[in-house]
Amino acid sequence: MNVATFVAKNALRNGRRAFLTIISVAVSCALLISLLTLQRELTTPPESEAASLRIIARNKVSLAQPLPARQLATLDKIPGIVSVSPFSFFGGKFREEIVTGFAQFAVDPARFAPLMVEGHILAGTYEDFIKDRNSCMLGADTMKRYGLKVGDKMKFTGTFYPVDLDLRIACIYEGMVDDRNVFFHHKLLDELTGDPGTVGTWYLLVESAEVSNDVITKINKAFENTSAEVRAETERAFQMGFISMLGNVKLLIGSISTVVVFTLVLVSISTMSMAIRERFRELAVLKALGFKRRELFSFILAESFGLAGLGALLGIGGSWLLWSHIDLQKLTNGFLIYFEVTPRIMATAGIVAALLGIVAAIGPSIAVARMSVVDGLKTLD
Amino acid sequence: MALPLKYNFRNVVVRWRSTISTVLGIALVVSVFVLLRALARGIEASSANTGDPRNILVVRKGSQAESGSLLGRENFRTLQYFDEIARNEKDEPLISVEIIAIVSMPRIQGLGEANTLIRGITARGMELRPQVTLVDGRWFQPGKREITVARRLAGRFAGLQIGGTVKAGPDMLTVVGHYDAKGSAFDSEAWMDADEARSIFDRDQYSSILLRPKDDAAATTIIAKIEKDKRLALRAEREVDYYSKQTMTAIPIKILAGLLGTAMSIGAIFAAMNTMYASVAGRTREIGTLRVLGYSRRSVVLCFLVEGAFLAAMGGVVGCLLALPMNGVATGTMDFQSFAETVFEFRITPALMLQGVAFSVVIGLLGSLLPAIRASRLPVISALKSL
Repeated sequence: MNVATFVAKNALRNGRRAFLTIISVAVSCALLISLLTLQRELTTPPESEAASLRIIARNKVSLAQPLPARQLATLDKIPGIVSVSPFSFFGGKFREEIVTGFAQFAVDPARFAPLMVEGHILAGTYEDFIKDRNSCMLGADTMKRYGLKVGDKMKFTGTFYPVDLDLRIACIYEGMVDDRNVFFHHKLLDELTGDPGTVGTWYLLVESAEVSNDVITKINKAFENTSAEVRAETERAFQMGFISMLGNVKLLIGSISTVVVFTLVLVSISTMSMAIRERFRELAVLKALGFKRRELFSFILAESFGLAGLGALLGIGGSWLLWSHIDLQKLTNGFLIYFEVTPRIMATAGIVAALLGIVAAIGPSIAVARMSVVDGLKTLD
Repeated sequence: MALPLKYNFRNVVVRWRSTISTVLGIALVVSVFVLLRALARGIEASSANTGDPRNILVVRKGSQAESGSLLGRENFRTLQYFDEIARNEKDEPLISVEIIAIVSMPRIQGLGEANTLIRGITARGMELRPQVTLVDGRWFQPGKREITVARRLAGRFAGLQIGGTVKAGPDMLTVVGHYDAKGSAFDSEAWMDADEARSIFDRDQYSSILLRPKDDAAATTIIAKIEKDKRLALRAEREVDYYSKQTMTAIPIKILAGLLGTAMSIGAIFAAMNTMYASVAGRTREIGTLRVLGYSRRSVVLCFLVEGAFLAAMGGVVGCLLALPMNGVATGTMDFQSFAETVFEFRITPALMLQGVAFSVVIGLLGSLLPAIRASRLPVISALKSL
């Protein structure tokens, strides 16, 4: 019998306890991973290189305040801009759903095309979309979710605008940061609402990342002291601003994660000390046989580390399998989309489990180191 | 015959190390559960608190919230001549046409920006909401660019102290007072003159109409009348009903509380089980003695269940105590219905604490069930022989 089998046999001697410990570490690890993934999902918008080239200009008062359509002429004159399109959130309800898990935006199709840097058309043609004022472009995710195809009709009931939409799907897009949305003609929206001469926001593409700051300053300056002052920012900054409106999600989830980790530590420490207390006499015998403190410590450490590691493996693997195979988008009605368990998150949970194994071994090791052989031999179970 | 409770109590005290770690573990689980529920409760409470059962709120048909509703002056002109509307001492009809604007404001301590609701309101509208009282400064004056802000909102955003200014486009609004709305949804708003709001925010249309019918029968008549008139395209409902529906923000938090509560309690159940198994193993001879003395298997099971429940209940109580300091702490989040920040408080009610303790007792019972059964099945003779 070598040291490794000795440690393994000891760890699994009380099968029930080993099982309970491994499972509770696994559950906590899975929980930790889920929380970290949730935090990432809610606070980090999906990254895309093109996002730094795209700029969103909204009314300085707030996103809910419209901008005058006449600003387009001024924007067109600003150098460094490749294309500008109106971009208005329609906020309609699809079919009879209470919560519609995707957005509809009114755009100018011809001007919007250059902004779809990373996207491509999956089915139908973009030209068809440009030509037909009553058509729309649909994201591939939504198409799959509802089993739609090119040529189908989509009906929306307006909640912000007092009008309803009846759109024919002209084409399907894919590969953008969000493949769920519907885009339709701003002209149609104007027509239905009696042409109020307003747009929600301006969405524009700049030539290169270098000029983007310059363009932002120029846009903000151009409308200073007019009746509709503008706040322009990169798409990414805009998304981060949106997230900051959610409030302290980061803090909330962060503190819950801390509590989970702390609970985990408590469980492991108490298990480890129980395991050691049970065989105090044996350890005393080992000591009497001439094993050094360091060696005893490494026995305990290896056992606790092994149990924690096994639990972590189960928890991390299990949660990764779970989240990569579950259709959360459907389950949460579009609230959670990707819920990707990244290697970084898995590594974090792994490190926590490893530290846990070490921390849990410290207390019992000190107790063992301190005991005198004679006392240890005298202990009853 | 049941074993005396004192026996359980002393046992728990004697094994103080494992007791403390189990109690703390369960306490943390319970406090997370209670705090999340308290958040959801806070959001629901602020909606439930809002509105007068006598009032009727009118918005555009199809809009989900006041802030997304648009209605014209002509709608107001039609409605104000309804005979069923109550009148005040000056014989004016109690009807108010209001406008909701959303303004992005910086949070305090540089925590980014968030949307806030500004309500353009009339004198009648303030009469219709007696729960709102001025606590500091004065009310805004009609025709002036002044706002009176909810005190709780002022605590979360920069520049909302009295004398501070809010930039609304090229115009400035001066804060002249703070009001308190008794924990209702109006605590997340700032009020100003309706017509001034229309000019500043460049809006032709209003958002909503609030009115008070003469009596309950008149209320039913008005709702039916508005519903029937297709030209109006308006939706009328009792103010309390409208606000009680505005609690969707609480749903994700409730789901999170449920999921976390379940997942964490699984961990806690295993921890409790571990402790109880160790406790049974350490007491083998004692259990044998008890059986010899004549205690039945059932009373041994009961004894360990009681002990587990007691251990867990201690954890539950500690958990509630840990959560308690958060009671009344104000926080805010984005309300996706109104598209603006809603301010609310953690609400830890006695009922919620009771739920927390009950939750912990369930954890304790589930965790000690298997160890208790094991204890009762120990063969008496070999148990007595064990060291």
